[in-house]
Amino acid sequence: MTPAERQTHLLKTAARTAKMITMILDPQELLQRTVDVICDEFKFYYAGVFLLNVTGQYAVLRAGRGESGAAMIAEGHKLLVGGNSMIGSCVQNRQARIALDVGAEAVRFENPHLPNTRSEMALPLIVGDEVIGALTVQSEQEAAFLDDDISALQTMADQLAIAIHNSNLHRRNQDLIRQTERRTRLLEAANVVGREVTSILALDELLPGTVNIICEAYGFYYAGVFLLDDKGDYAVLRAGYGEAGKAMLAEGYRLKVGPGSMIGAAISFGEARIALDVEEERVHFKNPHLPHTRSEMALPLIFGHRVLGAVTVQSVEERAFSQDDITTLLTMAEHLAVAISNAYTLESLKEAHAELLRTKVFEALTTATTEAIHWIGNKTLPISMTVARLREEIAEGKVDLASLGEDLDMIAESADQITQVKEQLIGAVREQRPRPVLLADAIEAAVHQRGLSADLLSMQIDPSAAYAVADSTQLVRALGNLLQNSGEAGAKSVRVVATPSEERGMLRLLIVDDGMGMPAETLEKAWSPFFSTRGHQGLGLPASLHVISQAQGRITLNSEMGKGSKVEIHLPLARVSEDGFSSNGVASVLLVDDNDEWAAAFSALLEGAGVKVTRQTALDGLPAADLVLVDEHCSAVGVDAALAALDQAGLTAKTVVLTAALNPERVTRYLRSGVRDVQPKPYTAAEIAALLQ
Amino acid sequence: MTTVLLVDDERLVLRSLEKTLLRAGFDVLTALDCKSGREVFAQNKGQVDIAILDLNMPGFDGLPKAGAGLDLLVDLKQQQASLPVVILTAYDEVNKARDAVSGGASAFFVKGREQGLVELIQKILGGQG
Repeated sequence: MTPAERQTHLLKTAARTAKMITMILDPQELLQRTVDVICDEFKFYYAGVFLLNVTGQYAVLRAGRGESGAAMIAEGHKLLVGGNSMIGSCVQNRQARIALDVGAEAVRFENPHLPNTRSEMALPLIVGDEVIGALTVQSEQEAAFLDDDISALQTMADQLAIAIHNSNLHRRNQDLIRQTERRTRLLEAANVVGREVTSILALDELLPGTVNIICEAYGFYYAGVFLLDDKGDYAVLRAGYGEAGKAMLAEGYRLKVGPGSMIGAAISFGEARIALDVEEERVHFKNPHLPHTRSEMALPLIFGHRVLGAVTVQSVEERAFSQDDITTLLTMAEHLAVAISNAYTLESLKEAHAELLRTKVFEALTTATTEAIHWIGNKTLPISMTVARLREEIAEGKVDLASLGEDLDMIAESADQITQVKEQLIGAVREQRPRPVLLADAIEAAVHQRGLSADLLSMQIDPSAAYAVADSTQLVRALGNLLQNSGEAGAKSVRVVATPSEERGMLRLLIVDDGMGMPAETLEKAWSPFFSTRGHQGLGLPASLHVISQAQGRITLNSEMGKGSKVEIHLPLARVSEDGFSSNGVASVLLVDDNDEWAAAFSALLEGAGVKVTRQTALDGLPAADLVLVDEHCSAVGVDAALAALDQAGLTAKTVVLTAALNPERVTRYLRSGVRDVQPKPYTAAEIAALLQ
Repeated sequence: MTTVLLVDDERLVLRSLEKTLLRAGFDVLTALDCKSGREVFAQNKGQVDIAILDLNMPGFDGLPKAGAGLDLLVDLKQQQASLPVVILTAYDEVNKARDAVSGGASAFFVKGREQGLVELIQKILGGQG
């Protein structure tokens, strides 16, 4: 290679190397590639890069060619700046040193790892005014370095210095990014605690959640939350991270408030305590459950002027807490203190509420008991007094038959009222069979059953609120109680309105009367069992409340003296499909019923299934049919009269009595008359199909 | 003949007590609430020897009221201070008995133990005589 060709090659190599090293950001890779490229491209025996240590006292070998380089790095090879080595001298003087024949170079260090070196060059690595290290290049040939080599290699050294500087900057940037990311994560953790503060009011959930977040987001060894006991003497551990936390909670770990521990001191003085090296912190308590703690922070939990407890955060690293950690943990502790204070407030509210509930229950029981005593006294007095008088009359042989008749009536009436109580109580405990119930039909049945005038009633039922989910027998009983109350209050009209409720899946049923209403003090007691202003058993409203509640509904009563009463009932809404069904061989049905809403809906479904339906209330000229259905609550014709007429027409065996409210006495009576069956009124296609079977 | 004014809102109670008292030889005037009790008393001024009043019944405004019988007691006593009055109640409660006595009642009689009522009336009236 001619000198000119060598010069060109060197410059090209220097340029290529410079380009390559500027693209490498990992510092170790950068240094190692540089020494390899120098040796490969320039065919030198050895190259190495030294960088100054933190104090600037030594040049430390950071990368070296081949096994010799690796061995020296492993030994921690370093040279004193200003010492008698070429590198030490080069760094000290900021100048290249060249020993073309090393034997003649006084300052060269005899290196056993590089025995063949005959020429050596040391080039300073300078960025701006700062020397950051030096590059050594060694050859097995004496006088190996030409001026051109020196120039080209110094150019490369300058590039390398800049690249090292860039790499350091890159590393610092990476550290800053990591710090920023950590800060973001910490802020997110603080936010999570902040959010939970507003959503979790149960301390047993909030405190363990908080210690988990602290340890997981910050990567700390341990966190725990202490709360002051009632007397304020001890900080009691309420949540602790991991197995150590579990063990301490199990043993009821607590610390005395005062300077004996970091937690005790933080609570006592109301100030954060931070021990970056716990061995140096006088007040630190050596905890056998947490043997690896090297840094600890105790943050008081303060709300207003009240110290509620403290949080401990511990790390296995010395000086573990950055300013970011401290700032965000202090914020978190402030949030936590608010949450704990809220939880305490909620607990006292709950206690107050429980106390109020106990008082109310006691009052309700007292009212019910008092009313029951009053009621029983009034119902039994006529019996006992009349019986005593009759005994005297019999003993004296002076029995007046007219008086005796009245006495027996009084006994019978009192006994009947007592029996009605039994009926109401049975109703409340009877098993419920919820199903879709046509409201209009249940109301008509209730009116009929209680012997109320149909003229009293006006109904407005929104088609989309026509069916409720309830036990029809119980619903008829509850509605009967309410309508009877209206009747007894002297109502001239009772308006029943059903509409879909604002509450999803519910309907609203209003029963509004223009009766005498009731005063506020009566209204207060209206739901109490045995309370009555009308001399009966006083169980109507409580029984209705029970039935509606069992149907997953609710009921309220408003009343104004002289203006009337309004009952509002919310019941689950039933959706009834109009799917077709098989008539099961039934071709004709005679329906003895009024032309009411149920009869119309029922007839339409039957006709849809191809069944011929004849509905009538006239009892003469009853047509033959495969099946005869009699509505028990038909107002135009009594069920007994209808059954008698059907008997005469020879249709009894084909007759089924339908009722909205099953009653065992009446069912028995109808069956004894020879009818085929007594069935609950069908309200859905599926129930009609079952009936036709 | 001794005349008893009997006031109770329970129809059957009123009638059975009335019959018992009639059989024992008393004249009986009856009323179903405070207002009509006062009216009956006024209409028979000077003739009523003793009043038996239910404790809880409709008051003078016609509305049910706990202790309405004590209001009527005070009212009747204002008209005739010497009138013996028996308060009749289902409640076996000392405080109510104390209220009745402080209102001037001669006796407090608990329903369910009424077999001795005739004797009680005779005793009260005999003591007076």
